[in-house]
Amino acid sequence: MLYIVLFFTFFSFFLYVLLGGADFGAGIIELFASPKDKETARNISYRVLGPVWEVNHIWLIILIVILWVAFPGYFNVIMIYLHLPFVLILLGITLRGVAFIFRHYDAVVDRSQVLYNWMFRISSFITPIFLGMSFGALIGGEIIITEDYAGYSFFEIFIDPWLNYFTLLVGLFYATLCAFMASTLLIGETQGEARKMFSRKSANYTLLLVIIGLILVAYGYFTEVEFILDFITNPVSIGAIVLSAILLIPLWKSIRKQNRIWSRWLAGIQVVLVLFAAIYAHFPYIIITSEKELSLLEGVAPDEVISNLAIMLIIGGAVILPGLFHLMRSFNMIKILEKEKEEMKP
Amino acid sequence: MENVDFARLQMAFTLGFHIIFACIGMVMPFFMVVSHKKWLNTRNPLYLELTKAWQKGVAIFFVTGAVSGTALSFELGMLWPEFMKHAGPIIGMPFSLEGAAFFVEAIALGFYLYGWDKLPEKFHWFTGIIIGLSGVASGILVVSANGWMNAPSGFDYINGEFTNIDPVQAFLNPAWFTQALHMTLAAFVATSFAVAGVHAYQIYKGRRIELHKKAFKIAIVFGAVAAILQPISGDLSAKDIAKRQPVKLAAMEAHYETQKGAPLFIGGIVNEKEKEVNYKIEIPGALSFLAFGDFDAEVKGLNAFPQDELPPVAIVHYAFQIMVGLGTLLMLSGLFYFLSTRKKHWQSKKKYWLFFTFLAPLGFIALEAGWVVTEVGRQPWIIHKIMRTKDAVTPMPGMEFSFYMYVLVYVTLAITVTWLMRRQIKVLNASKY
Repeated sequence: MLYIVLFFTFFSFFLYVLLGGADFGAGIIELFASPKDKETARNISYRVLGPVWEVNHIWLIILIVILWVAFPGYFNVIMIYLHLPFVLILLGITLRGVAFIFRHYDAVVDRSQVLYNWMFRISSFITPIFLGMSFGALIGGEIIITEDYAGYSFFEIFIDPWLNYFTLLVGLFYATLCAFMASTLLIGETQGEARKMFSRKSANYTLLLVIIGLILVAYGYFTEVEFILDFITNPVSIGAIVLSAILLIPLWKSIRKQNRIWSRWLAGIQVVLVLFAAIYAHFPYIIITSEKELSLLEGVAPDEVISNLAIMLIIGGAVILPGLFHLMRSFNMIKILEKEKEEMKP
Repeated sequence: MENVDFARLQMAFTLGFHIIFACIGMVMPFFMVVSHKKWLNTRNPLYLELTKAWQKGVAIFFVTGAVSGTALSFELGMLWPEFMKHAGPIIGMPFSLEGAAFFVEAIALGFYLYGWDKLPEKFHWFTGIIIGLSGVASGILVVSANGWMNAPSGFDYINGEFTNIDPVQAFLNPAWFTQALHMTLAAFVATSFAVAGVHAYQIYKGRRIELHKKAFKIAIVFGAVAAILQPISGDLSAKDIAKRQPVKLAAMEAHYETQKGAPLFIGGIVNEKEKEVNYKIEIPGALSFLAFGDFDAEVKGLNAFPQDELPPVAIVHYAFQIMVGLGTLLMLSGLFYFLSTRKKHWQSKKKYWLFFTFLAPLGFIALEAGWVVTEVGRQPWIIHKIMRTKDAVTPMPGMEFSFYMYVLVYVTLAITVTWLMRRQIKVLNASKY
């Protein structure tokens, strides 16, 4: 039963990183695009992400609920020591969500659109950075777990662990990853000029991603971040990374050919490989503090709770996944397939 | 004020905010599908226009409710880590089911909003029904988790440890049914009167009367029925609290001395120092009757409980009076509406519409007051008789800044959403048919 819960934990984690990430990415692309491209990106992100964007973010709620139900000890540490970045993340999610809905559902289209647009773009960029920084803090080895709060300064306990160069790099890495996923996804949803734009952006973001990734690993190596050291000495992780590096070649080819289906799959697989590599080397010790490594399984909930949760997740999954699949098919995949049919007819 | 007080204020504020948006997002889909059904049946374009206008409202409120709900799911842990560490696994079941229900709602909303002219008509309408039903299910599930804090069950508490956890029993705790029933009806009363009030104001102002009368009628019928049923549910809740949380009942009534044939106080000013209530109206024996169905039953007073286990009496008492007073007014207004369907000429009077405009905010005021009764009435406990609120709070100092920031953000949001709704109505009025 524990394995079912673990499966759903990582399933929702990966889906949030992928789908929620692509969602953030659409806003990031908009932020860094030229004024003309901004307009294109805005319209496309509404059409493609509109029907599913809210769903994408529910994976985060599912993940949080699983964490607190099944891994309360782990959740407790995150919630106490990463309070501040999570406040910023929540602020970002809130502003971004309302900005998206305001700009598309406001009955009057006027100058307030400018405000909504910038609110949406900036929060789309900031939120994944703070998400990345929080993850970076968990693995960065700077968290001090203590009962003696008077013995340390506020900065030492509540700020330093998540605000340093390493976490900033992780944050930037995730934000770039989001932009990379979004641009690759959107290649398949557009035509003509817009499609060329996303292909170009996708290639650029892939390059940027590889560069930041290398800097991140190098920085972690030279400052002896334990997570990185273990990561680059674990054969399975290295294997996964090598595989994802090899896959870069067909990915670039398919992006250049503007192949919608392949580039999407390859990008998805690559992201999962990198995440897998990162987590595998350390599983189940996913919090690394200044003194010790904390296991996800430390303070795991009692068996009855785990079994109950597993059953709930299976029932929930059985209800949700077909519906979700149908939703995506109704608004994305079918449209693509139909368009392809149309294109085939000269 | 201490850290824990600011954490409580922040929780109260964000929850109070979320409740409004969640209730509207939960109830408005029902108006939308009724109007949609009428469009399908009659093909009167006014109903289509109304459905699409309400659909925008649903989308805006759903998202605001969803993001403020996401914030809350984090806040539970961020503000009360000690509580979540122990309670999280026990009350996980309603929360995981709620996650599923919410997911279904979001999927159905995706279909509904983007499905016009793309999906088969009947299926499209049906996805609207799913939005409504899964919304109500989410509400009931979350309230069940709150019920557990009032009636902790499904575990053994031995030497400060929670053992023998039974998630199903915790989910079906003794408080869940009365609380969920009361809350669901309250959501219908508050939202329906608010929406009906907004449309009544438009009729009062003489704007697109035919359209707004249709809207008013759909909304007010839901509200009137719920408001008439609500006192029955209130009675069930009162009898349940009398048994399970007598101290909360005593605080609601500001009832200090244990006595047989206890009187019911209406209004009055609570003097917490002197432990008395001044300027009140007394109805002899009524409290005993309401709580136990017997005019001579003994009702425990606040003095019968340890003094460090008393909630802030005045706040709970005033909130309870507000809730019951407004609830009664809305129930009478519901009856008045049904009467007015027999006396058509009443509806041609401007005063009639002004009256319903005036009722618009009252349901939500009553609803918030009800939450103050149940949450402040449980203090000083976060888990009734098991864990104190002050022992659950985060060790991080400086909660006041967090509180101020949330107030700023949420107040701005509330103003913006109100402004957007006004724009929706203006556009609706300006379009010609």
